[in-house]
Amino acid sequence: MQAAAGGKKSFDISYLWKIFGGVLFVYLFLGFMVIPCLNTLTSVFTTTDAEGRTDPFAVIRFFFAGNMPSFLWNSLKLAVCLVVTVNVVGISIVLLTEYFDIKGARILRLGYMTTLIYSGVALVTGYQFLYDSNGMVTNWLMQSFPGMNRQWFSGFSAVLFTMTFACTSNHALFLRNAIRGIDYNTVEAARNMGAKPFTVLFRVVMPTLLPTLFSLTVMTFITGLCAMSAPTLLGYNSINPEIVRLAGSSATDESFPQARAALLSVILALFTMILLTVLNHYERKGHYLSVSKTKAKLVKQKIQNPVANVLAHVYAYVLFLIYMTPVVMIVVFSFQNWAAVRAKALNVSQWTLSNYFGVQDYAYTRSSGKVATRRGAISGVFANEKTVGGIRLSFVLSAIAAALACVIVVLAVNYIFKNRNKKRGRVVEACLLFPWLLPTILICYSFRIFFNNEVWYVFGQNLYYKENVRFLIIMAYTVVKLPFALRMIKAAFYAIDDELEDAAKNLGASPLVTFLRVKLPIVLPSVLAVFALNFNALFTEYDMGATFQKAEGTTYAMVIQSMCNEEGRDGMNMNASGRRCASTVFIMLVSGLILYLVYGVGARDLGERLEHRKKWKQRLARLTGKKQTA
Amino acid sequence: MIQLKDIIVKFGDFEALHNINVHVKEGEFFTFLGPSGCGKTTTLRTITGFIEPVSGTVSMQGRDITHVPIEKRNIGIVFQSYALFPTMTVHDNIAFGLKIKKLPKDEIERKVKTIAQKVDLSDEQLAKAVSQLSGGQQQRVAIARALVTEPAIICMDEPLSNLDAKLRVQLRNELKKMQREFGITTIYVTHDQEEALTLSDRIAVFNKGYIEQIGTPNEIYNFSQTEFVANFIGDINRLEYQIVGEMKLDGTKHHFIRLERVRVNRPKHDDDWQGQGTIESREYYGLYIKYYIRVAGQTIKVIEKNDGINIYDAGQQVTVGIHPRDVMSY
Repeated sequence: MQAAAGGKKSFDISYLWKIFGGVLFVYLFLGFMVIPCLNTLTSVFTTTDAEGRTDPFAVIRFFFAGNMPSFLWNSLKLAVCLVVTVNVVGISIVLLTEYFDIKGARILRLGYMTTLIYSGVALVTGYQFLYDSNGMVTNWLMQSFPGMNRQWFSGFSAVLFTMTFACTSNHALFLRNAIRGIDYNTVEAARNMGAKPFTVLFRVVMPTLLPTLFSLTVMTFITGLCAMSAPTLLGYNSINPEIVRLAGSSATDESFPQARAALLSVILALFTMILLTVLNHYERKGHYLSVSKTKAKLVKQKIQNPVANVLAHVYAYVLFLIYMTPVVMIVVFSFQNWAAVRAKALNVSQWTLSNYFGVQDYAYTRSSGKVATRRGAISGVFANEKTVGGIRLSFVLSAIAAALACVIVVLAVNYIFKNRNKKRGRVVEACLLFPWLLPTILICYSFRIFFNNEVWYVFGQNLYYKENVRFLIIMAYTVVKLPFALRMIKAAFYAIDDELEDAAKNLGASPLVTFLRVKLPIVLPSVLAVFALNFNALFTEYDMGATFQKAEGTTYAMVIQSMCNEEGRDGMNMNASGRRCASTVFIMLVSGLILYLVYGVGARDLGERLEHRKKWKQRLARLTGKKQTA
Repeated sequence: MIQLKDIIVKFGDFEALHNINVHVKEGEFFTFLGPSGCGKTTTLRTITGFIEPVSGTVSMQGRDITHVPIEKRNIGIVFQSYALFPTMTVHDNIAFGLKIKKLPKDEIERKVKTIAQKVDLSDEQLAKAVSQLSGGQQQRVAIARALVTEPAIICMDEPLSNLDAKLRVQLRNELKKMQREFGITTIYVTHDQEEALTLSDRIAVFNKGYIEQIGTPNEIYNFSQTEFVANFIGDINRLEYQIVGEMKLDGTKHHFIRLERVRVNRPKHDDDWQGQGTIESREYYGLYIKYYIRVAGQTIKVIEKNDGINIYDAGQQVTVGIHPRDVMSY
């Protein structure tokens, strides 16, 4: 018999809640994870031929006979190349700002970190603004090299270039932390034993970063494999855009499009599972931990060779320009009028807020000589019905999904924490991690196809029909964000001292009171951070928005994408590019604000908050005191 | 006050406590002492109600509380980590238990203020977050929180182990002072024998789930009943074959002598055993000096008061004396 906590058990209302919670969890897991994905898997093998007979291998034969492998190959090519380029740039930016003594490192760091607030579809459209056929850089290049191809920024190289700089955010966060964790005494010891600076870098510093680099490499590979917005907007035939295209296609246009899309999703899932298994296996081996009890802070290394030093500075600032130019241009042009934006020529004498606020009519002269007016053709982000609609929809859906993911995970982690040594705890955890194994596109595609019928367990509703799609998007957003929420919130729960719960119990608090008044306030900053980060990611999310796109489900990312093609069409949307710039600035502001709230305000503990409050009170008192004396 | 009778606790197949019998008297400062994993914390958690024994009874003031829920036992606990709620102010930490009991607001305020005064916490400190306090102040908050609900006894699980050596000594004294002032029965868990000896009225020495000896600090130190207790409390020399033979001690037993009972260069008394030894090395502690002396085929550790005059160097010849009365045999 095992020792147990004191207290006699008796039936109470909490058992009913537990049963209700368990049933709901099973319903959600089976209904919104397992069944739709299984449906996708089985659809690969249940295609019928012209005579209505099931042909389980028809799609697979089609795969090898047609051009489908080219999409897989393109995705693999992109993933492999991205691993190289992202690591080169990612390691460079971290070493240049954290390891080497480069002048202006703080400013450089800010530039390299812009991708934290400027990513996804906003970043791609920003790069297009500079480099596409009518982009600023393209125009400048055309002046110098008139013979060059205006469409140079498209296809594989454009996607690789854009994604290389878009995907260094993880390096900027995690590799930076890893390099900051290095014990400087190890560097000094190596130098003391006669190692040259670059020997120290490659033999002492880099090996300690390898575990982090390995994780980042796997994540980059998966990102490349599942790339969506850049290939779609820059024209590259990779898997994800093809899946979305096939999902929207009908059997009258081409052979079993849905089954082909399903096959591609399943292939992507297999790749993801293999990579994550490898990553998991590697992570279990553990990281190199410093054994030093008195760790010394890393001191920046001066590059002794003057030529190498100059080259390093040049390289650092070229990277800075690549990172910053789109951001600066987008911000600047968001305050320019439609003509300047269209010509991509800065007009320093005219600044406007029309890309943000207000509606204006556009008057122009027809070929007949008559002056015509397009009413409301110039409208700002917050005056354009379609854009505001997209923002509003994305805001509401993202907020609901981010909150739902947090609530589900907090309740589940509390349960997992209490049953951490029991099988049932591990099962619940595995269920929540399930979406991590599957590419987002597989989940969304499965939702779109499976719920585009009347499904009995959702009260016979077609969830892809009209406004129902919004509920479907919320569910997809929630499911996709569960694994991230689980990893973060679980870490916060496990950091709680067991004795706190014992103390609360000893002072007479019930399990519910202990959860609400002791544990929840402790994990709340992490929960809010997860909510904010998930909201941030979902607000401008592209992949899922594209999969579910329809009139009732046009999210903000889809609105931005449509802006890319709208400008100048019969003068109807004169300032679509300007509005796109303003949209990007708006996204950057929202993302920046959220990151500040999460890492600036949210990271403060109670002591720091009280100190902060005290300082503000003192400032206020000084101010009012001055006024009184005045 | 508190009585444990034939307590057995099991974790799966592992028996953590074997037939534990303890009786803690009213107002006593009682310490559970022992190495890690010996069962002292398990015993404390059995008293507080976090662990239910497989057999045996826990009674308090004559009432069987073996199966009484934790919160109804009226036992205050000071945890090893203090377990102060980091999201609450000092005031809210202390008031937590009172709020759970749904006492009126003004009564809560009064009780919090009173206890804060007693443990020397100012109003300003009450408004602070616990993270803004020093280790010593945090300990006072933990004690105040445990005492404010007016428990019958207070249990402390190694509350000084997280502090640095100097602060530990300082707070040890304050702890004893506070216990005397409140007059509350206290059960204290520690693996630090010095802490146990200085604080306790009585000590129970634990080993592998058994209690080896219960007694006052003097009984435990000078009249250790078992070889384990003699070895665990303070430093000790085991006398080997040659000395045992020359002193005509019982060869079937193990014989020990405390360091301070060995005499160096002192006149011979009655039936003292004496031998010529050589100083191997010395450790200088300021107040006293510890010598390692090679004598009669073994190395004996000796502690001598540092009088600034009789200080021996390595290699120096000395006479080592042992009185048979000081030898502990098991």
